[in-house]
Amino acid sequence: MSSSQIDNLISMLNQIETNNNYKKTDEETAMIVANHVKKFWARSMKANITKYADSDGSQLSPAIKLALAQL
Amino acid sequence: MINYYDPATNTTSNKPIDFNKDYGTPASTSTQTVCLEIDGVKITVAAGTSVMRAAAIADINIPKLCATDNIEAFGSCRLCAVQIEGMRGYPTSCTTSVKEGMVVSTENNDIAKLRRNIMELYISDHPLDCLTCSSNGDCELQDMAGAVGLREVRYGFDGDNHLDAKIDDSNPYFTFEPSKCITCSRCVRACEEVQGTFALTIEGRGFASKVSAGTSENDFASSDCVSCGACVQACPTATLMEKSVIDKGQPEHSIITTCAYCGVGCSFKAEMKGEEVIRMVPYKGGKANQGHSCVKGRFAFGYATHKDRVTEPMVRDSIDEEWRVVGWDEALEFAANKIKNIQAKYGRESVGGITSSRCTNEETYLVQKLIRAAFGNNNTDTCARVCHSPTGYGLKATIGESAGTQTFDSVMKSDVVMVIGANPTDAHPVFASQLRKRLRQGAELIVVDPRTIDLLNTAHISANHHLPLKPGTNVAMINAIAHVVMSEGLEDKNFIEQRTDEYNAWREFILDEINSPEAMESITTVNAEQVRIAARAFAKAKNGAIYYGLGVTEHSQGSTMVMGIANLALATGNIGREGVGINPLRGQNNVQGSCDMGSFPQELPGYQHVSDDVLRAKFEKSWGVTLDNEPGFRIPNMFDAAIEGTFKAMYVQGEDILQSDPNTQHVQAALSSLECLIVQDIFLNETALYAHVFLPGSSFLEKDGTFTNAERRINRVRKVMKPLAEFADWEVTQKLSNALGYPMNYQHPSEIMDEIASLVPTFSMVSYKKLDEQGSIQWPCNEEFPDGSPIMHVESFPIGKGRFAITPYLASEDRANKRFPLLLTTGRILSQYNVGAQTRRTANNTWHQEDLLEIHPNDAEERGINDGDWLGISSRAGDTVLKAKVSERMQSGVVFTTFHHPISGANVITTNSSDWATNCPEYKVTAVQVEKVTSPSAWQTRYKKFSAQQKEHFKRSPKKQKATIGS
Ligand code: SF4
Ligand code: SF4
Ligand code: SF4
Ligand code: FES
Repeated sequence: MSSSQIDNLISMLNQIETNNNYKKTDEETAMIVANHVKKFWARSMKANITKYADSDGSQLSPAIKLALAQL
Repeated sequence: MINYYDPATNTTSNKPIDFNKDYGTPASTSTQTVCLEIDGVKITVAAGTSVMRAAAIADINIPKLCATDNIEAFGSCRLCAVQIEGMRGYPTSCTTSVKEGMVVSTENNDIAKLRRNIMELYISDHPLDCLTCSSNGDCELQDMAGAVGLREVRYGFDGDNHLDAKIDDSNPYFTFEPSKCITCSRCVRACEEVQGTFALTIEGRGFASKVSAGTSENDFASSDCVSCGACVQACPTATLMEKSVIDKGQPEHSIITTCAYCGVGCSFKAEMKGEEVIRMVPYKGGKANQGHSCVKGRFAFGYATHKDRVTEPMVRDSIDEEWRVVGWDEALEFAANKIKNIQAKYGRESVGGITSSRCTNEETYLVQKLIRAAFGNNNTDTCARVCHSPTGYGLKATIGESAGTQTFDSVMKSDVVMVIGANPTDAHPVFASQLRKRLRQGAELIVVDPRTIDLLNTAHISANHHLPLKPGTNVAMINAIAHVVMSEGLEDKNFIEQRTDEYNAWREFILDEINSPEAMESITTVNAEQVRIAARAFAKAKNGAIYYGLGVTEHSQGSTMVMGIANLALATGNIGREGVGINPLRGQNNVQGSCDMGSFPQELPGYQHVSDDVLRAKFEKSWGVTLDNEPGFRIPNMFDAAIEGTFKAMYVQGEDILQSDPNTQHVQAALSSLECLIVQDIFLNETALYAHVFLPGSSFLEKDGTFTNAERRINRVRKVMKPLAEFADWEVTQKLSNALGYPMNYQHPSEIMDEIASLVPTFSMVSYKKLDEQGSIQWPCNEEFPDGSPIMHVESFPIGKGRFAITPYLASEDRANKRFPLLLTTGRILSQYNVGAQTRRTANNTWHQEDLLEIHPNDAEERGINDGDWLGISSRAGDTVLKAKVSERMQSGVVFTTFHHPISGANVITTNSSDWATNCPEYKVTAVQVEKVTSPSAWQTRYKKFSAQQKEHFKRSPKKQKATIGS
């Protein structure tokens, strides 16, 4: 897993979050992000980002962390 | 006198229209009927019909010269004179409307004499070279001379005449030979009424009058003419004539098929001599184009038989090797073995494929089926990813179906038309002509686009608003418009109450002051009052329609913008009837179809999600395999995984991803890391330079199938010649699947459509038989809508109620900054198509030989740039060099280019930024710097070298001496 690919996944997640968090709690946003990822991301992309969240996760916002925990 | 009491003859208004016949004047739209008698035949027709058309319906064909049924009658030749009881003299039947109880005679001695005299005058000023004339056998003047029984010309040919007027052959596709002109003005009127360009005029009066393109100094090439061909088709003589007919003679049979260029989906008669297409003539029965066309579909078909067509399969082990020309079996065996070995070594998910938006529905369906069933994963995507994927996402989320809501014809009932991020006169010309017709009738136009698009220059238009926003600020603009609607109480309360959900949250959001035009002014740079005026016009219109293009989707907030558009349509109640709606203008011919056919990694055909066990089970049963229940990779994910080393093989049908996808150097890196790239195309395109297997494709002329246009219309594509490489694309995919061990055994594309109909609920009653009967079908076509659905969402949405979406504006990541102070936006022009592989191989290059960088005079002056200077354009992704064109079409701060030529490397500069929901690339906003340079970019130098090297690999392959590759 190269860092550039993880960077891509992180920026995709950030974009999904910022487009869906208008006046929402982290829990609400997390649900939307999780559903989006479940619906559109390939298996290996989900696995890679989860691995990153478990091992480091420093670049993930609280809502995204919550979302990844739901996968 | 014979009286017909046969109801079929008596109620002639119900008789089906014969689209190969010229009825002389356009059909009336009136629902009232009138009964009259012509030559003793009782006829019932719609009120407002001309006597000429009424007669033609009853198969009484009155001689005519200046009338034809796609333009209004003009009444200048007088050949159509008739006698009408109670009327004096000889009224012209083309300009006389039917009246209840009218009694008409179309033939008697007096009329015959009159007509003969008229013909005599025409012929006395007409060359008598019928036998050697290109129109011989297809000339209305000749036919009329015969019909009126002209036997002598008493005036002689020595008086003043036009017989030695000079031929204008400046247009690459047709000539203008004024000596044969009868000044009927059909061409002038066709250019005005059908095309809406007003390029032609009649100069002078009386005998001195003549047709002229532009002013008398102009020829066709230097005039405003856009080469649509409407005048050529309207011309009754050989004056305006296709050069192909002059060269090859009149065609002897014709087959109806569909244009393979853009999403309008025009129907054409391919007029043939044996297996050679002589000309393409727009078919009046085509419901998308109603007999009109543009320069691409009408004339630019020569690429199909261009010498660059590769017609034999080729393989090689590495891209540093020469190609080996092999037979089909060997090539397919080679490809299948590579795929199998790669999957054995790197896993099931290490391979994938890309379906084509240019191929037929049936072919696209087969490619995704091969990927899902034979590769065993969902790594399928399509080039719609890079254009309209946000449409799919945004419309599904708000109105429940990933498709436009209207027919093209619906625009004729619109009162205000909003065009956002689209340039229809260049990208969807035939629709633009129809839109212009409506604008001339008085509809108002609102254009939301950074550029001053040509539509704004429509002749005889009543009102237009231009909101020239800064690229990347669409969402800010649509929110501001919706804010005005809501804050000024202009919403459609009834519609909102009955047809929508989630309204209150949206209302609260949109009414927030941050969304007001005043607050957004600093972002969009558009004057708030201007926005308010346009918003009011849209909201107050009885019927407001929205048309949008890639300027909406190709942004980091593309999906948000599509939802913003849907919000506006829902809030103003502009959905579910004629004249309104949300209308995505699709780029390529079959973008709609390729999306419908399950090209996306998360959806089986018919937008059925792979994770839904019930839906998936249906496919598993039909296909006899277990399907993966997780989405696969999208194109950019495939590239990332390829660079990372986990994705190793790709099957790409009819798509030049290297040239069309953003950030070229990234794509090059990805393609170079593949162990097996299989490219199926008609040319050795740019992507194929990185390929290991090349499978020759077939053009739309060489196969049967269907395309689905932007109005969900399924049109038939018909084979007019044998595939040059022996097999149509669907046959090749089938053979590859068989070689991979997953059997496919279709005898004809109609069987593939039957399978689709059995699996996709919105297609359940589609069949080739029905298509042949109806001409075309707009899906959904099922038990609920057995004849198809011209207008969608009339009663309800597939998700019940329409859903408002919260659409906050977020700035584009790629914003202009100190280092890259300008914004680059990309687009297309009329004569070229997409990456240009087809149009560059036709005479369309006359109009566009190279991609230019358009730059505003202010920005040019600041940098000391003049027209024609070489400019280096750099972004954070890369740099390239293009020639300058100083132009006021852009606002200052914005530069524009097209991407039709590979050497331009326009996509070397575009970045990886993409839409948040779908990864559709952000082509429309890239921050760049521009400066004068003297040499090509490093990328262009490398490209030239690589391309030359690949040319060698191709040339030196045995048997392949003739063809050339790449650009
Ligand atoms: S080709 Fe089209 S645009 Fe050109 S003069 Fe004829 S009708 Fe007008
Ligand atoms: S060019 Fe043809 S259509 Fe035009 S006025 Fe002459 S004869 Fe009529
Ligand atoms: S408008 Fe589109 S479909 Fe019609 S002829 Fe032109 S390119 Fe073909
Ligand atoms: S056809 Fe009626 S006047 Fe010419």
